[in-house]
Order: sequence, then structure tokens, then C-alpha cells
Amino acid sequence: MKISVNWLKEYIPVTHTVEEMANKISLTGIESSPVELGTELTGLVVGHVTSVKPHPDSDHLKVCMVDIGEDEDVQIVCGAPNVAADQYVIVATHGAHLPDGVRIKRGKLRGQESNGMICGLDEVGVPAKYMPEEFENGIYVFDEPQKPGTAVYDLLGLKDKMVDIDITPNRADTLGMRGAAWEIGATYDEKPNFKKPELNADKIKDLNEVDVEVEEKSLVPDYLLRELKDVKVGKSPLWMQRRLWNQGIRPVNSVIDAANYVMIEYGQPIQAYDLDKLVEKKLVIKKAQDGDKLKLADEDKVLNHNDLIIASGEDILGVAGIVNGTVAQVDENSKNILLEAGVFDGASVRKTAQRHDLRDDASNRFEKGVDNGIVSEALVRATQLVDEISGAKEISKEIVGNYTEAKPTVIEGSVSHINHLMGLELSTDEMVGILDRLGFSVKVDGDKITVTIPTRRWDMAIEADLVEEVNRIYGYENLPNTLPAGMETRGGYSQKREFSNKLRDVLLGEGMDEVINFSLLSKKEVDDFNTLNTEYTKLLHPMTEDHEYLRNSLIPGLVRNIAYNQARNNNDLSIFEQARIFARPKGQTRPNEIEYLSGAISGNVISDSWNTKSQKIDFYYLKGIVDEVLSFTNADAKFEYEATADYANMHPGQTAKILANGQVVGLIGKLHPKYQKDHNVDETFVFELNIDALFELNEKSIKSQSAPKYPSVSRDLAILVKSDVENAQIISDIYENGGKYLNNVTIFDVYEGKNIKTNYKSLAYHLEFLNPNDTLTDEEVEKAFSLVKDSLVEKFNVEIR
Amino acid sequence: MSLDDKLKSLRENGIDEAKRAQRLQELNDLRVNLLGKKGPITKALRGMKDVPAEQRPEIGTLANNVKKDIQQAIEEKMTELNEKLVAHQLEEEKIDVTLPAAKQIQGTKHILNQTIEDIEQFFIGLGYEVAPGYEVEEDHYNFERLNIPKDHPARDMQDTFYLSDELLMRTQTSAQEGRDMEAHDFTKGPLKMISPGVVYRRDDDDATHSHQFHQIEGLVVDKNISMADLKGTLEALCRHVFGAQREIRFRPSYFPFTEPSVEVDVSCFNCDGKGCRICKYTGWIEVLGAGLTHPNVLKMSGIDPNEYSGMAFGLGPERFAMLKYGINDIRDFYLNDVRFLEQFKGVN
Repeated sequence: MKISVNWLKEYIPVTHTVEEMANKISLTGIESSPVELGTELTGLVVGHVTSVKPHPDSDHLKVCMVDIGEDEDVQIVCGAPNVAADQYVIVATHGAHLPDGVRIKRGKLRGQESNGMICGLDEVGVPAKYMPEEFENGIYVFDEPQKPGTAVYDLLGLKDKMVDIDITPNRADTLGMRGAAWEIGATYDEKPNFKKPELNADKIKDLNEVDVEVEEKSLVPDYLLRELKDVKVGKSPLWMQRRLWNQGIRPVNSVIDAANYVMIEYGQPIQAYDLDKLVEKKLVIKKAQDGDKLKLADEDKVLNHNDLIIASGEDILGVAGIVNGTVAQVDENSKNILLEAGVFDGASVRKTAQRHDLRDDASNRFEKGVDNGIVSEALVRATQLVDEISGAKEISKEIVGNYTEAKPTVIEGSVSHINHLMGLELSTDEMVGILDRLGFSVKVDGDKITVTIPTRRWDMAIEADLVEEVNRIYGYENLPNTLPAGMETRGGYSQKREFSNKLRDVLLGEGMDEVINFSLLSKKEVDDFNTLNTEYTKLLHPMTEDHEYLRNSLIPGLVRNIAYNQARNNNDLSIFEQARIFARPKGQTRPNEIEYLSGAISGNVISDSWNTKSQKIDFYYLKGIVDEVLSFTNADAKFEYEATADYANMHPGQTAKILANGQVVGLIGKLHPKYQKDHNVDETFVFELNIDALFELNEKSIKSQSAPKYPSVSRDLAILVKSDVENAQIISDIYENGGKYLNNVTIFDVYEGKNIKTNYKSLAYHLEFLNPNDTLTDEEVEKAFSLVKDSLVEKFNVEIR
Repeated sequence: MSLDDKLKSLRENGIDEAKRAQRLQELNDLRVNLLGKKGPITKALRGMKDVPAEQRPEIGTLANNVKKDIQQAIEEKMTELNEKLVAHQLEEEKIDVTLPAAKQIQGTKHILNQTIEDIEQFFIGLGYEVAPGYEVEEDHYNFERLNIPKDHPARDMQDTFYLSDELLMRTQTSAQEGRDMEAHDFTKGPLKMISPGVVYRRDDDDATHSHQFHQIEGLVVDKNISMADLKGTLEALCRHVFGAQREIRFRPSYFPFTEPSVEVDVSCFNCDGKGCRICKYTGWIEVLGAGLTHPNVLKMSGIDPNEYSGMAFGLGPERFAMLKYGINDIRDFYLNDVRFLEQFKGVN
């Protein structure tokens, strides 16, 4: 809300610039920014149109003589349809500056001299949507004579200075000028002065013409009405209109304007009804029936049974606290008026306003709360304004639909505890002084203070609220900087986090860049890599189809990254992500969150350079990385790779499940060529590892051993074997039969093709024997080596070469 | 020619030849030829028998000196030739050191994780535990335990992805507060934790919004926690992240789960508070929200607010990284263009 300095001055003295005020208010209370309207405006004066003649060469232009307070009237050519003699208007004189850099210069319009411009309100900075409707298509005309030549800025509020406060939901007490005056006053140690509104006692009568029934008393704690008879609805005075349009409210007529003015003044929304348009002289506040319709100017709103309405007979006058329909709208012909001041339940108003997309100034206030201590006074003030401006003959007494006594909140606190929570040592007097600035009354009893909070500060409830008030007004800048001084604690990561950090560091060391992807995927993406065969987890109200399901694999994100990069010619990629996937067991609504480590590589490992040839990535390159990660798990487990064709989007001949002690803990392989093509990626290899599962494996217990001092003995073994026999089978058989001194087996050649019979391959192994305690003899080695060969021949029918 | 003259002439010739040698082989040959057993000096000494006995010691000394001198000349020349040889080799082996390296690549940690870990390390140093929390959270922990009951207007401030009436994608890492407070054994000392992680909001993605982003929640609960402790802790954090000269300021704010609540600004690291484009000419940059834990939040976790108090803060690693490195578009973090990622090699 924008707090006009001119308006504020009615309540407290203001000596600072709006910049200073906004800064100070931001630091002690509410985030604020300074607003200065019309700083660019110059040369705008009141003009009195003395004559209007048609333009000789134009149908719509008129040649006007205008008194702008100079010795002679000036001639101005004007195109507005509503210009007429004897009007008091806004004149932009020669050299005047208007908004958006417009500059007015003397000139000729179709041959006729024009010494300026007669302006509409929107041309001098009042937004078109906030100016009175009658001036929408023409120039602005003052209601009353003004002195020609005087500047128009103050008359129209064109250069108002304001502080725009951006309230947090708890400080709706400042959504009225009076509340804002209290807040700003406390900042500057100034107590505001308010005039109590009074009605003309002679006009107050027991009218007893209108009845009211509040059905939903719990949702409407206060509901008050006043009737005004025989008013003359007209335009509201300029001082009121300019304040309204600077608040972003369009002036309508003297009754509606007064109601809106009081909302700004008190923060209490006021509604007005034309009594003569009610089908019954009775208002009922109740829940709507499904299908009820509220007639608005431009549409009908279909209501439902949760909406609280104001009804008269069959007619629905409005939705409580939000908007009035057109049924009982006050217009220039209205005579008898009903003014309403109520308090409506915030949650109910909020939901209805949201449901019908009808949030506005009134609903905003009810949602955040209003001061139920001033409902009656605000109604008096609105009544007073209508009476003063529109002249009522009779005014009813307050008609009460429901009334709840407003009780001030009493908070007990302790000076020492409040000091303690701030980290300050204020004296009782200092603390009481600050609370007094806020208009709170304090009773002191030793360390104990009893603080009575006026109803306008309904946000205050507990001692912690006092801590905030005292601390902010005292000034946060005066707080010392300390650190918590309690018992020492041992900080650190969880064991699992240490574990995943360790594995992540391996991948960084292997040259892989870390990426972070979104957890929410499309339906297609969760279908693509449901490698865990889990139930999907879907958002109730997704925003887009791209982000509808919780991811069940990190691979779709990595593939998207590869595609994005390769589309930008970043072709050689090695990336990984460590994040959670969501796996939902059947019958469970909450998915399990499982940490995964997943990587993807595409393109070349090494690119062409002046001294190296490029090397394309392949399965074994990535497998080497995965092996290194697995070795860093320090797990006491047997890791194996088991060929698989189970995954639809993986290459069936180049994919393996990764097993730890027989349990699947991940996968590795090449993307299916078709999938690669569909996703616009080059040949890409991926892996994923379940960190949670790896973390659960028992740790290897490591006992240091001295490096053996005796030399090892080697034997090479070349075999011809059927193509479908896997290396892992051969290796494990060699180990099984190699005896206790077989220390290591490595494969150093794989060959298929020329000179080898079809469906066979040649494999060559290097066997290393070692006795840590003695020198091995040739006989011992030969014996073990023959056992190895015999077994291979027997089990796999190999040919020893 | 007397033996004396003969030796002298041998010396002269030998030294001369050594000096003229061009290759190591010539010098080796010279040594064998001149100084070997079949060499002219040995041969000449055979004429010693004709020398009178009293002169023999003198001739003997002379012969030794001649040998020594020639030997020395050969060695000197050898050294000289060897040096030339090495110099030549070095010349031959000269390379262009400006040619590019054979690449040895370490991967780059994502800048958000670098930022998060930098902050984690700061707090670990102050004795904070790092607690991760759940990304799918119960309404109970994400809202109700944070003093945000259903229908609370503050729920509008965070549009939420729900999975069911009671389950949601957490909108704030503060959701971890309730879980940590109820799990903590206060007889063993204060609760000091930070909880980093991913949070989700129903926001359209644009340059400044992302439906998924990161937060780090901090919470300390002990018998003597004050606003001054909060200010001191956060100023130390801002100095760690943004530089030793930084100051912070508190502005009143509102969060349902803290009272008092503050927004925290750091003095602009770009202009030192003088005012520039980055701080919108205010000298200050808003970096996080904080406050003292609301007594209701303590109570709901079974903690007596008359005995204990807490401080809590929540910060956004995206915002920190964007400010620190001048990143203008939050979407850059999630596009993962490797050219973007790799520029942050080792910054933290």
C-alpha cells in the first residue's frame, strides 16, 4: 500500500524525505520503497476556456481561447469532444513536460496557432483505469472554478510523494492509513493524532426499516449496517477523488467513493447498497447454494455452497467481503443507502476469492485480518462522509447483524527473558519506552511486564512478539555479533554422505563433469528407464507434461544433457550425477528415496591432437571407471558383470547388470541405437549404481601385509575357445584350479576372425604365481599350470595353443 | 738427440695432438699410442741404461711428468669434447614448449554443489551436523510443524506440488527442523544442524524462477540462543562466502516458524556498499531469511520454549552462486552445458 505523505501529515508530523522514510521503515518494520509521482511534470496550469469555435479546416478540432492567468488569453487547438466554453481545465503550456518524455510546444494545427494543449488526466500521469469514467475519452474538467494560471499538481495529486510499503501477511494492520501512521510514528517516536468521527445527532433516528440476519455467525463475527435516507448521490470532492486515484481506485460516485476512502483510511472495507433495489428490506448472510449466480458488470459468477453471500430475498447482492454484484449497486439515482461494515472469516474469503478469481482490495484485507475494534467507528466515518458530501435527511442507528466484543490482547513477559532472547541488556525503562512508542500500555512488576496490546495489532500474541517489537524498534543494527556459546558439538557429514562424496570424487578424478538435473520427468522418460520396475509417483497437479512424474532413474536426465551439448557441438562428453531416484513399492503411497550415482559418456576419450590419435569411448573404458568406483566402496563383496538384454532402451549385446554378492546394484552398457537416434545423441554409454545398496555392504577389514620379498613366476596361456564362453568363466576356472600360489590372472589378448575357425575365439592369459614365504620352484609352478590347462580342456573344450 | 730432448719432444707432440683431436676416439687412440706399454715413452725409457746413474732420477721424474702432462692434456680435451657432445644433444632435443599438453582431465564439480559444500564446510567447522532430509515430505513436517496450519495465508507464498493430501514435494528444507528436533537428545548438548537439499515449488521456469532449486536450512537449539548469536553466525558466514570485509544487516520480516523473523542483507561485495547495479544502488544485497525459532515450533517438538530457544536460517545456493559469479539466469544451472560447468573448475 502506498502511504501518501500529504495524507500522513494529518496524523503525524513528517519532516523527512520519502527516501529516508522508506529506508528507515524498511530497517525497523516493513519493506518500503519511495514513490514520487510526476517528477517530470512541468508547465501544467489551470486554464479557463473563454470561447470555443470550430476549426475552419477540421471536423473534430476546435479552436479555444483559454485564460491561463496571463495578460491575454491564449489560443489552443483542442480535439477533445467534451471541450466547451467556461470549463476549468488542465493546460500544458508552451514548453511543458508531460510523462514519457512528451514535450509541448507552440505550433500550428491545420493552420491554426496552438499555444499548448488542454489535457486529459491520463495525459498528465493518472492511469486511465483509475480516472473517473466521464473523462475517459476527453479532457479533464474541474468541477469547481479554479484560479487560472495556478499549478494543477496539488489540486490533482500529480506530484504526490508516497512510501510504498510491501507488507508481510502478519502486518495487515498497516493496510490502512491510520495503522500505517502508528507504525511510521513508532519509528520516529511520534504518536499519531486521530479525529474521532461524529454524526449529526439530529439526523439519527430509530428507523427500523431494515432487518438483518447472519446465519453463519462463526464466519461473520461482526456485521453492522447504517441506513441513510434521501441522499443526493453525486461526485465526490476533488480531495477525495485524487487520494483515491493515487491509491489505484477509480472514483465512481459520492457514496462508493466514501466507502472506498474509509477502507484506505481505516483498513476496514465498507460496502454500500441501494436500499430501494432490495426485493426485501432484509439482508441475510448465508452460504450460497450450488449454482447460485452473482451478477457482475461483465459476467455472472456461478457460486458454490462454500461461498458466503449477502442476499436479499432471492437476490444475491454480493459475495461477503469480496465483491458486490450489480443488483443493488448505488448509482446517481439512488436515494436511500445502506452502508455495511463487517468482519468476514479470512480463510473463507481467501478460498472464495481464489475460486472465483476475484481477489481485490477488500478480500485482501479480510484474508489477512482486520481490526475488529474499529468496525463500528469505520462505519460511523463512512456514514459521516456520505452525509457530509451527499446530505442525508435521516440516519439510522447502528443495525447489528452480529457483534463480537473486541478485547485487547494481554501479553506477559519478562524483561530478562526478552533481553536474553535478543542478546541485549536493555533497562526496564528502555523497554517500556519502546513499547509505549508502539501505543502498547505496560504494567511493570519487578522483572515481569504485562503488556496490553490494542486491537489494531492483532498479530501480537506471545512474548516472542514483544521480542520482535522491542528489537526492531531498538534497532537490529545495535545488536552485537556473537556466536552460540553452548557445549561443544562435533560437526560433520553422515557416514552415508561421506561414502557418496568419496565415490563422487572418484568420478571427478576420472575426468567426469558433475551435472544436476530436474527430479520431475515426463511420462515417456519414466517409461524409458524403469530399470527398477517400480510403480510411478505422479504429481497431483503438474504444471507441464515435461515435469509430471518423479524420476525413477538418472539416465533420462543425462541423455538430455548429452543431446543438449551435442546439439551445440560439445561432442566429447563425460558427465555424472549423484542424486535421488524415487521408487514406489506397490501399495505404498510414499516412494522410497534412493541415492544413485549415474554417468554417461559419449564421443572420444582423447581427441585428435598434434601428437595423439583420438580414442573413441567404448564399453570397457566406462567399465574401467565403474570398477574404480567399486574398488573405492571398500566393500567386502564380490562384484560381477552379468550380460543382460532386459532393458528395452539398452543395447542387448553391450549391457550388463552389476552384481554385488549376486544382488543387482546397477547397470552398465550402451544405449540402444534406436534410442540414441530418437534422442539425437551419438554413441553413448551409461551406468548407474545404487549408492544406498553399496553403502549397506560390509566394509572390508584391511590388515596391512608387507610387500612380498620373493619374486613371482609367470606363465602365459593361449587358448582357442567357443565364442560364447565369457572371459569371466575362464578366469574363475583358472583361479579355481591354479592352486594357492596363483596370485593374479590377466587377459592380454582377444582375437576373433582371420585364421581362427568360425564361432571360436583366441584368448591369451598371463598367470602370475607367487609364494610370499619362499622362492617358487619350476616344478611347483608347472604342476599348478597343468591343472589349470586340464580343467579348461575338460570344462570348456578349449584347444591349448 | 738426448733422451731428455726426446722426452720433451714427445711431450710437445703429444699435447699438440691431444689439442687437435676432434673426436673422443682419437683421444683414446692417442692415450694408447703414446702412453701404452708399446708407446714411444716406454720405448724411450729403454735407453735409460745409457744414461749416467746420477742423472737417472732426474730423467725418471721428467718421464713421469711428461706422461702426466700428456694425460692431462688428453683429459682436458676429453672433457671439452664431452661438453660439446652434451651441448649438441641438448640442442637436438629442444622442443616447442608452447605446443599443447597431453590432456589430463579432472572433472568439475557442479557449481551449486561447490557452493553448498563450501557453506557446509564453514558450518562443520562451527560444530554443525549435516542432515539431508526427505525430498518427498509429509504436509505435517513441511507445514504444520512449522506453524503453518492448513488455510494459513503463508501457504500461498509457496505453491506446492502435492502427491496426495498428506504428501508433497518439500517446498523448504525447513521441513527437516521438526524431524531433527524430535530426534535430538538434548541431554547430550545443543542441536546444531544444517540441512542442504533440493526443494520444489509450483513455479514457471524463467530467468529467476525454477520449479526445482536448492536450499540450506540451519537450526541451532540450546538454552541460550539469541538474535545476537544469529547475527554473529550469519555475518561470519557472509564473510566466509563473500569476503572478509562484509557486513550484514537485519530487516524485520515474517515467517510463520520464526519470531522475530528477519531478512538478511549483506553489504555489496561489488561496490563495497557504495551503490552499484548489482545492489540496485542500495549498497546492500538480500541473501537469506532467518529468525528465532517460533515457540510453537519448539513446543510441537516437545521442547520447552521457556527453557530453550532456537535460531534458524534458510539460504539459497542458487542465489549465492548467482551473486558471487554474476550468473544471470537460474536455468543455466540445470541445462548442464559443459562449457558453463567447466568454467567453475576449482573455484571453491
